[in-house]
Amino acid sequence: MLSSLKDRVGAVLLPGDGFSLDTDDTISLTEQAKPDKVLCGPGLRRSGARLVACKSGVLRHKLPNVFWVDSQQRRYVPAKGETVIGIVMLKSGDVFKVDFGGSEQASLSYLAFEGSTKRNRPNVQVGDLVFAQFTIANKDMEPELVCIDSSGRANGMGVFGPGGLLFRVSLGLVRRLLAPHSDIRSDLDQLFPCELVVGMNGRVWVKSSSIQQTLILANLLQSCDTMTAPQRQELFKRVKQGAL
Amino acid sequence: MEVCRSSAVSLREFGCEQSLLSRPDGSASFVQGDTSVLAGVYGPAEVKVSKEIYDRATVEVLIQPKVGLPSVRERSQEQCVRETCEASLLLSLHPRSSLTLVLQVLHDDGSLLSCSLNSACMALMDAGLPMSCLFCGVTCAIDYDGKIITDPSAAQEKGSRALMTFAIDSTERRVLMSSTKGSFSVHELQQCIAVSQKASEKIFQFYRDSISRRYSKNL
Amino acid sequence: MKDTPLSNCERDFLLKAIEEKKRLDGRQTYDYRKIKITFGTDYGCCFVDLGKTRVMAQVSCELVAPKENRPNEGVMFFNIELSPMASPAFEQGRQSELSVKLNRQLERCFRNSKCIDTESLCVVSGEKVWQIRVDVHMLNHDGNLMDAASVAAITALCHFRRPDVGIQGDEVTVYSPEERDPIPLSVYHMPISVSFSFFQQGTYLLVDPCEREERVMDGLLMIAMNKHREICSIQSSGGIMLLKEQVMRCSKIASVKVSEITALISKALENDKKARKEGGKFGFAESMPQERITALKKDETSVEMSDVSEKADEIIQKAEVPHQTVPSPVVPVAGVGQIGEDLQHTWGLDDEDDDEEEEHKEDSDEEQDEKNMDVEHEKEIRGCVVEISDSEEEEVIILQAEKPGKTPIKTGSDSHQKGAAAASRKRPNK
Repeated sequence: MLSSLKDRVGAVLLPGDGFSLDTDDTISLTEQAKPDKVLCGPGLRRSGARLVACKSGVLRHKLPNVFWVDSQQRRYVPAKGETVIGIVMLKSGDVFKVDFGGSEQASLSYLAFEGSTKRNRPNVQVGDLVFAQFTIANKDMEPELVCIDSSGRANGMGVFGPGGLLFRVSLGLVRRLLAPHSDIRSDLDQLFPCELVVGMNGRVWVKSSSIQQTLILANLLQSCDTMTAPQRQELFKRVKQGAL
Repeated sequence: MEVCRSSAVSLREFGCEQSLLSRPDGSASFVQGDTSVLAGVYGPAEVKVSKEIYDRATVEVLIQPKVGLPSVRERSQEQCVRETCEASLLLSLHPRSSLTLVLQVLHDDGSLLSCSLNSACMALMDAGLPMSCLFCGVTCAIDYDGKIITDPSAAQEKGSRALMTFAIDSTERRVLMSSTKGSFSVHELQQCIAVSQKASEKIFQFYRDSISRRYSKNL
Repeated sequence: MKDTPLSNCERDFLLKAIEEKKRLDGRQTYDYRKIKITFGTDYGCCFVDLGKTRVMAQVSCELVAPKENRPNEGVMFFNIELSPMASPAFEQGRQSELSVKLNRQLERCFRNSKCIDTESLCVVSGEKVWQIRVDVHMLNHDGNLMDAASVAAITALCHFRRPDVGIQGDEVTVYSPEERDPIPLSVYHMPISVSFSFFQQGTYLLVDPCEREERVMDGLLMIAMNKHREICSIQSSGGIMLLKEQVMRCSKIASVKVSEITALISKALENDKKARKEGGKFGFAESMPQERITALKKDETSVEMSDVSEKADEIIQKAEVPHQTVPSPVVPVAGVGQIGEDLQHTWGLDDEDDDEEEEHKEDSDEEQDEKNMDVEHEKEIRGCVVEISDSEEEEVIILQAEKPGKTPIKTGSDSHQKGAAAASRKRPNK
């Protein structure tokens, strides 16, 4: 069955497209007969003896046996360990309610900030942005965010400082931006210096030396969504040459 | 029971555009001949406490007519679309959330329900909601000579004795929903189902083509 | 559903950018976003895209009794629908403050400025007049709904054709478009609304605010004007104090914008007229952007149905397969049938039982579909056995005799009786 999956890598799948999970009838004599373990990422589900796609998109593969469907989606569904940009909506008792663009608000304890104690509360106002990580995210429980890593360090998370602009891009673009050795990021580096925070929930915060440059970056990133690499490089080159 | 083979069985030209609206999480417009429906989906989103279901998502379908306020006709079509969506969506993956599907009729020239179903399916796919299978809608009309017309226009609908709309699933071509009007024999019903299943293959191929086209750009 | 919240960061940035005369989408202070006008297949159907804001207007007409104080005038009716499609904050069927405000503004802009000749809409004085109804549907909300709605409404009114009527004595006949050409409305002038948003207590001004700009603005001034520079309505909201000079300046800007938009509308109307005259393709389907990869179109296709009849038979046979594996029905009293122990079985439960027998390996996801399908077949079967008598015992025996999974080729009549067996078994459960 692995071969049938591997054959389709890079192909477009539609919900309902399935692969049978049965092992091959012929057993190779030269190789050891080891049961294949397949790891299914987003968009693939096991249904009885079959593996069925439940989202439309391109089938991707990562060694050894990881498969997932890469789709262009806008609505974010939280997953444990992902970092997101949230907006503080409400202070209630000792938790903040944070909107991250999902189906319900996440709770963020005021103790989940670096160096905060019962007496030393972090300075967070309603409407502020926080960069935080999910510690609880599943369909049956209220999502929970923290702004510290496992060793109690901020590690880049916490409340945002003043300035900068928040905007929304597609989840696909966010994943491309966060991928190791991302082309878009290296292309951006060549334009002008900026601070960039990318949340897995499709929110991007950017800050540059001037309002003008921040606006240019925001608009460039939003348009990157639907551009191929050569188109993007052409655009970036024009921006660099232009009198902006 | 005489089988009529010389029926005018064809689908009008059809087209679709996905993610054409910026606000909804998924949107699509579907055109069949002159009939056209625009669909927008929000979800999985926050749900009202009164509508919350503890183990699955709440599906709401709203059909907006072109003129005036929604009436009984829209309500019954909403129900048809909602039940089809509930059958194909994997709602248990998003409990205590809401999926809102808004369908705006842009022009009605017959086969409105099937066009609504098709645009709904494209919008749900665009929103990336988990589905066990796709679905499509096919409308068949039987005229007074017993001829079957698929995807009838408004004029053909008027001159028909019976009108049936089926929602067909993509994996095994089963009937997910049927809505009929007028009188017909069992054999005619089976024929119409068979025709719809045939026609659905064209629509599913179209779905595949348009999704392939969409993902053809190597980003 | 709640709207996406606006963070302090966005608010601060927007205000700072406005101070520097910069806008989010790179526009200048007095720039409009791109306006695109398309027409539907019907007369009186118009789509307006203003940047990402999208609005549809449809004009319709109806013969009604006139208002008592105006027996010689037609009636204009405006309805703005804030469809939840446009924004998650909009709810269906509820009159929100915004929808009341937009409706009122549209009425003032069109009805009170007398842009349509309502007297020509009179058919029989005091008895029958035309009611012109304008439905404006918001499809996507990215700010400045009012301007988009006013452009859509007036374009749709200009585009609309009402059916011709003939009066013979007391009788009023409405002619269909085939009999007599429909008549356009007489439009005296075209009022177009231009919105100005004010920031920092009126220090800064922007034309055509987008959604995020609307959220941070202090006040809004809407001026409706026609191309003859006549102000048709003016409305200031948000409670900011404006100086006389500011209003004068806004009206000057509005006059420039209105003449631009009027020219665009006239051109769009002309293009559509030409397309209709030539008999070519027009309407919404034709306006679909073909070059986008998100769009695809397919020409008329024929569906092959050579083996439809065979397929229909096949389906009839297939439909019965699940019932062959059902355990033998109990016959408690002559003429009735029952499956299982429980007398209180319902149709739905029965179906599930069938499913379990047949598809116990199936995943739970698919069970629902399976059930749906089964209900379908059940209906079909129920439909086909109305005239058959109660003598089902023999058929039941045949049912048992058959091995599950194997479908022997049956004749049509056989399959009918089979259907009878299946249906009558369930009859008492109804």
